[in-house]
Amino acid sequence: MKANRVLTVAERVLRQLAHDRRVLVYMLLIPGVAMILFGYSFSGDITGIRTAFIDEDNTDLTASILENLEKDDAFRVTVLPPGEDPEQLLLKGGYQAVIRIPDKFTSLYYAHFAMGVATTAQGTIDLCVDESDPQIASTVAMGLADAIMDLGEGGPVNIETRELYGVEVRFIDSFAPAIMGLVVSLVSTVLTVLSIVREKVDGTFSRVWVSPVRRSEFILGYVVAFGLIALVQSIVVLSIGKLVFDIVINGSIVWAFVSVILFAVGSVGLGTLLSALARTESQAIVSFPLVVLPSVLLSGMMWPIQAIPAVLRPLSYIVPLTYSNRLLRAVMVKGLAPWEEPVGLAGVLVFVVLTIVLASLVLRQSAQEAG
Amino acid sequence: MADAAFEGRTLVKVFGELRAVGGITVAVQRGEIYGLVGPSGAGKTTLIRMLCGLTTPTSGEARLLGHLMPKERRAVEDRFGYMPQERAVYRDLSVGENLLFFGRIYGMSRPAVARRTRELLTLMRLADRAKQLSAHLSGGEKQRLSLACTLIHEPDALLLDEPTIGLDPALRLEFWDHFRTLAATGRTLLVSTHYVHEAERCGRVGLVQRGRLAAEGAPPDLKAWASTASGGPVSDMEDVFLILCRSEGGLR
Ligand SMILES: Nc1ncnc2c1ncn2[C@@H]1O[C@H](COP(=O)(O)OP(=O)(O)OP(=O)(O)O)[C@@H](O)[C@H]1O
Ligand SMILES: [Mg+2]
Repeated sequence: MKANRVLTVAERVLRQLAHDRRVLVYMLLIPGVAMILFGYSFSGDITGIRTAFIDEDNTDLTASILENLEKDDAFRVTVLPPGEDPEQLLLKGGYQAVIRIPDKFTSLYYAHFAMGVATTAQGTIDLCVDESDPQIASTVAMGLADAIMDLGEGGPVNIETRELYGVEVRFIDSFAPAIMGLVVSLVSTVLTVLSIVREKVDGTFSRVWVSPVRRSEFILGYVVAFGLIALVQSIVVLSIGKLVFDIVINGSIVWAFVSVILFAVGSVGLGTLLSALARTESQAIVSFPLVVLPSVLLSGMMWPIQAIPAVLRPLSYIVPLTYSNRLLRAVMVKGLAPWEEPVGLAGVLVFVVLTIVLASLVLRQSAQEAG
Repeated sequence: MADAAFEGRTLVKVFGELRAVGGITVAVQRGEIYGLVGPSGAGKTTLIRMLCGLTTPTSGEARLLGHLMPKERRAVEDRFGYMPQERAVYRDLSVGENLLFFGRIYGMSRPAVARRTRELLTLMRLADRAKQLSAHLSGGEKQRLSLACTLIHEPDALLLDEPTIGLDPALRLEFWDHFRTLAATGRTLLVSTHYVHEAERCGRVGLVQRGRLAAEGAPPDLKAWASTASGGPVSDMEDVFLILCRSEGGLR
């Protein structure tokens, strides 16, 4: 193994990319666009739930409940006169939630304080909600609870919240690491496949094969080139995350980069493997959804793995991005060192070793086929 | 034949049902220019690829500079050059970058590559093209760059698969002059070609047909053989080739 030859291959890969301005632009654009698109469309906050508010009590207290609800982006509140039937409003009126505050609510609420916890007398709010979308239903329930809590009177409901790993981890904070892993792995895999398939088609692979370059040097050359690219892309993702979404990074940036580069190495291996299955560039291109879809859907990137049906869940555990997500989230969100997330780290390491070893084996095959 | 640069012993290569090479025995001495001619699909490329270790023979033995291919190819890896039939250059690299890459992987220093690049680009009439993207070269220009990439590390033994295809006659002549110069400095060349009269310029010619070496010899000897076979005078290699094709092989 000669470092010189590894660097020569890496330099060549980078020069090839540098000549293709469009690819270069895409490589920088994709992380940015992905971060912004996913960031906004999956920011995790549901907004604008069509909500009817019927106030039959009409006191200062109920007015401030309404005020609190209106302040919450989750609700788009329409105030309706008393007497409307909540269920009908929900079924026919196009509302997703109907909140009705019955007559005497305020007096019962204060009576509760006067008599202490021993009483059963307690203000009740009538909530009708469209259960067909559980996410909306739970958002409404939580939003309403918030609105009442915010009254500052310390209502009958006592919700104790424990916040781990930072003051407030929003969806986007744990999403940035996933985007980083996804973009870096996709770009490394796709460009490696295309580059090697093109070498086979054009016959340059035969030249390299008869030269002193070893298979391991060839793969390492790609690894070095795409490791550098991964670093640049991670910086783009993090910068946009920071500037546009003000993401919180609790952990060490250095460990984050080390982890994402490690993942890029495995992705180069995967790309080399896939290149053996494709004889032409179009065959390679049509195979890409097979890599993208499982990564996006099953890796726990958009929803937790626990939300994936049990039949599909084993698949989640063979999707490499699952482990990269665990590792990068541990490092970036929880502020742990990589080895403090052993499952994620081991998963990524197995991915790296497995793909690189197999890649080296299939390259021999590719040389025999080429030309 | 200890001195042979290329040597095949009853080389056979079978692809599925197809016997692409069906038992070729051939030896090319050092300093020789050996031409491979034969119809398309005869097995020339397959033979060359076996000799440089790119294709493992189904049976038989391929040796390059005395070493068994592909098993011992590491022993000779920097002493031979292979020019594939397709114009194997990186389309998305410039002319100069292609030469830089192929020079560097053979361990040449950057200044050595730069010096050699100037030499070769002048020889190939590409001196003003060093910065041009290879994708934008004409077919013949790509072909010249491809040959330059093969020659960059000054190999002792050269396997050139149709190096002159797509070149104009004047340039083809220059190529052959250069091949002669190379041979005169002790280098060995195995050259396949479709231009049969180019074979006149080879020391020896092998006529490949249907995976077999149908005839082999110096051009004058082949002409003599062909005129006996056809019963009339034969003046150039083109006729030899046609007579051979008509006689369906089996002349050896
Ligand atoms: N990898 C392969 N798989 C299957 N068949 C192959 C393979 N390579 C070559 N062949 C077949 O082997 C035969 C000989 O091919 P080869 O390329 O050696 O011919 P050639 O003499 O170089 O032809 P040409 O002058 O057209 O270049 C052809 O029929 C070809 O289709
Ligand atoms: Mg051929």
